[in-house]
Amino acid sequence: MMSLPFVLFACGLGAAWLRQREVALGFWTAGLVVLLALFRAHYGDALNIAL
Amino acid sequence: MPSDLSRLLNALGLVAIDTVLALAFIDQLWFRDLPCPVCILQRAGFIAAGFGIALNLVLGPRPSHYGVTILGAVAGAAIALRQMLLYIVPGSGSYGNEVFGMHLYSWAFVGFVAIVIGAAIMLFYDRQFGRGGPLSNRLDAFTLTALVTFAVLVVGNIFSTLFLCGLGFCPEAPVGYVL
Repeated sequence: MMSLPFVLFACGLGAAWLRQREVALGFWTAGLVVLLALFRAHYGDALNIAL
Repeated sequence: MPSDLSRLLNALGLVAIDTVLALAFIDQLWFRDLPCPVCILQRAGFIAAGFGIALNLVLGPRPSHYGVTILGAVAGAAIALRQMLLYIVPGSGSYGNEVFGMHLYSWAFVGFVAIVIGAAIMLFYDRQFGRGGPLSNRLDAFTLTALVTFAVLVVGNIFSTLFLCGLGFCPEAPVGYVL
């Protein structure tokens, strides 16, 4: 699961190398969404700061 | 700005990101400082930012590619900032080794901010966008090395994360490799 953003970015790089710009940007967008979703899943709790 | 200079500066930027990702691997493999889940996500943030630079190098500079870089860096900065806030209260601990007096997540935040500023400055030079595509289909050795190294580091992170976390979520404070 945690490696999924890297997989999507790697696919995007492959698409860019093949000059498929739209496909590359699609993979990048998917990778960024997954990255933020994983961040939300891991660190969605409130900060434990007692002042 | 001539496109050649734009390409050189983009290649230098990608080398800088390659260096950050390589240093993270050195810290993980040589100093056995295993990355936490949010550390892994920061690595992905650097790759998301470097993706736009790679697009500039392969397909030619475009404003949208710099937008990719900025958005990736902002996402990474948000993640790094969140980790800094976790330990902002004195006595609340920290994660990992210090390098030159700051933890890696603090350096990561500095790096992401530098990427945003660098991409914003590059956007000022309109002349680089004069051509629809790259100057030539042939990439020079320096640019090609930066791109190949970036690709290798992306694939390396796939395997590293798989070994560290398996197919699920990572443990909060990993003590060893799952696979």
